Amino acid sequence: MTTQWIASDPQRCTACHRCEIACAMAHHGACRPELARIRIHCFEDPAFNVPIVCMACEDAPCIKVCPVNARVRVINGSVVTNEERCIGCRACVYICPVASPAVNPFTGQTMTCDMCADQEDGPWCVAACRTEGALWIDDGQRCSLQSTRVQADRVRSARYGASGARAHRKGRMP
Amino acid sequence: MKIVVVGNGIAGNCVAFGMRARSRDHEICMLSAEKVPEYDPCALPYFIGGDVSRGAVFRKSLEDYRRRHIDLMLGQRVVAIDPRARRVTTAQGFEVPYDKLVLAHGGQLFIPPIEGIRLPGVFTCKQLNAAEQLRGHSGRRAVVIGSGAIGIEVTEALYKKGFEVTVIELLDWVLPALFDRETAQRFEAALAASGVRVLKSEKVLAIEGNGAVAGVVTDKRRIDCDAVVVATGVVPDKSVAATAGVAAERGIKVNRHMQTNVADIYACGDCIETVDACTGEDVMFQLKHNAIDQAAVVVANLSGDPVSYAGAYAFARVHFGRMHAVSFGKSTLSTQCQLGELTIVEREKGSDYLRLIMKENLIVGGQAIGGFADYAGFFMGAMRRGDDFAHLRRNRASVCSLQNRHRWTQRLIGDITGLC
Repeated sequence: MTTQWIASDPQRCTACHRCEIACAMAHHGACRPELARIRIHCFEDPAFNVPIVCMACEDAPCIKVCPVNARVRVINGSVVTNEERCIGCRACVYICPVASPAVNPFTGQTMTCDMCADQEDGPWCVAACRTEGALWIDDGQRCSLQSTRVQADRVRSARYGASGARAHRKGRMP
Repeated sequence: MKIVVVGNGIAGNCVAFGMRARSRDHEICMLSAEKVPEYDPCALPYFIGGDVSRGAVFRKSLEDYRRRHIDLMLGQRVVAIDPRARRVTTAQGFEVPYDKLVLAHGGQLFIPPIEGIRLPGVFTCKQLNAAEQLRGHSGRRAVVIGSGAIGIEVTEALYKKGFEVTVIELLDWVLPALFDRETAQRFEAALAASGVRVLKSEKVLAIEGNGAVAGVVTDKRRIDCDAVVVATGVVPDKSVAATAGVAAERGIKVNRHMQTNVADIYACGDCIETVDACTGEDVMFQLKHNAIDQAAVVVANLSGDPVSYAGAYAFARVHFGRMHAVSFGKSTLSTQCQLGELTIVEREKGSDYLRLIMKENLIVGGQAIGGFADYAGFFMGAMRRGDDFAHLRRNRASVCSLQNRHRWTQRLIGDITGLC
């Protein structure tokens, strides 16, 4: 099974907050955006809104810094907080490059996207999103380190030959 | 190939299990001074305070070692290494041959030479058995010597258990390795508001008691107590490495491939001295995430991939009650030795506080309390990328325009701090 995660396009997002409400509904059955695991950061420029959600980093730093090992990677590739262990120290929030873990205001524990693993219909936020292309499920085909590497290799060999001899002479690439 | 790992901590286990995940051809042997499977020392303060159960402290069970065919030898403290014969000797008299040796035995608690430090009722919080003793201790008044991250976590644990806690710090403010004075003062206020007594610039002279702890004498006063916790830091254990002629200064010296100067001996974790990922200077951060990264480098190099280590980074968070704080990179204290002008950027909003330490328009460190702490990851990203804020300010239009939407993190930092 390939790892999937929620990807977003800040240019298309209109900050309608439907995804937040859908997320809270899926996980807590309540229309409370503060319980959502996806959050939209709104900039002054209304053309620009960034949905922030856990991207399940390949080398996730939150797993390494959690003092009680509550951050775990589950079978579908998501990184989630084990609620039985989490003590609410927020180390995962602070180490996250985009501060994606949300803090549950009732328990103090953190929560992140689990790709709605227990919902039949898949991630509710994507289903709720009304703007074409603002939120989608990515499996690494469109943007991943691996696909970028493959792409870079292809371009490099086309440009510099298979050995990359020209790049070597210039001393720019190893 | 026979790989011998000295130490059963986080780094040692990441090496052993990482190696096993890559290959089934190697014989892997671990030598553990303690008699339990791998546990997480970071969880011990929470175990003392009752936030987590004893079972949750462990990262592995003995069954895990058996299933992966990792030969775990418990209660074997390594005392000597013979690099010529490729053999380690334990205090119990075992001799274990190796092809590749990984030193991951970590550090030892620094026990200050104070009178009465061995009295019953003086506890530490580095190893599981010590933490268990402290958890089982019932008393009313406790003194914590040292206000590092562990000192503060133990303070909170004891406070939750109903102790009346006094923290004694030798330097002028609490958490001196993490915080500048201004941040520390705000944190102290939270401690004091909960009824924890914080004594700064005070030196412990002796621990008094007849058969059990009865009080602590400092250069300014005497404090009655029935428990003392020593949290004065961890120093790398270099004595074993010295028997093999491994070079060490503050910690064991390694290159970017985690190799020591002796052939076929690698080292990782709390026992080594390494480079800072951002500044490139020699540093010692005895932190879990660095140990895990270093172990991954050892595994790659043992498997034949010449991966080099990107460097360690400082990141620590502390909390007390409802106050959460975070520190990353350098503090003013640790940059004082460097040349160059430092700029401090401060922001305050209610009880939230942000302090960024900048050198020549680059973020080199920072501290945050409350709401600002949530953005620590963004600042750390800017620090690691080396974002030049003077440049960003000049080219403000290009930061996070629709054509440059990947730069939204920089725009966000600009919105919070006004730097760009």
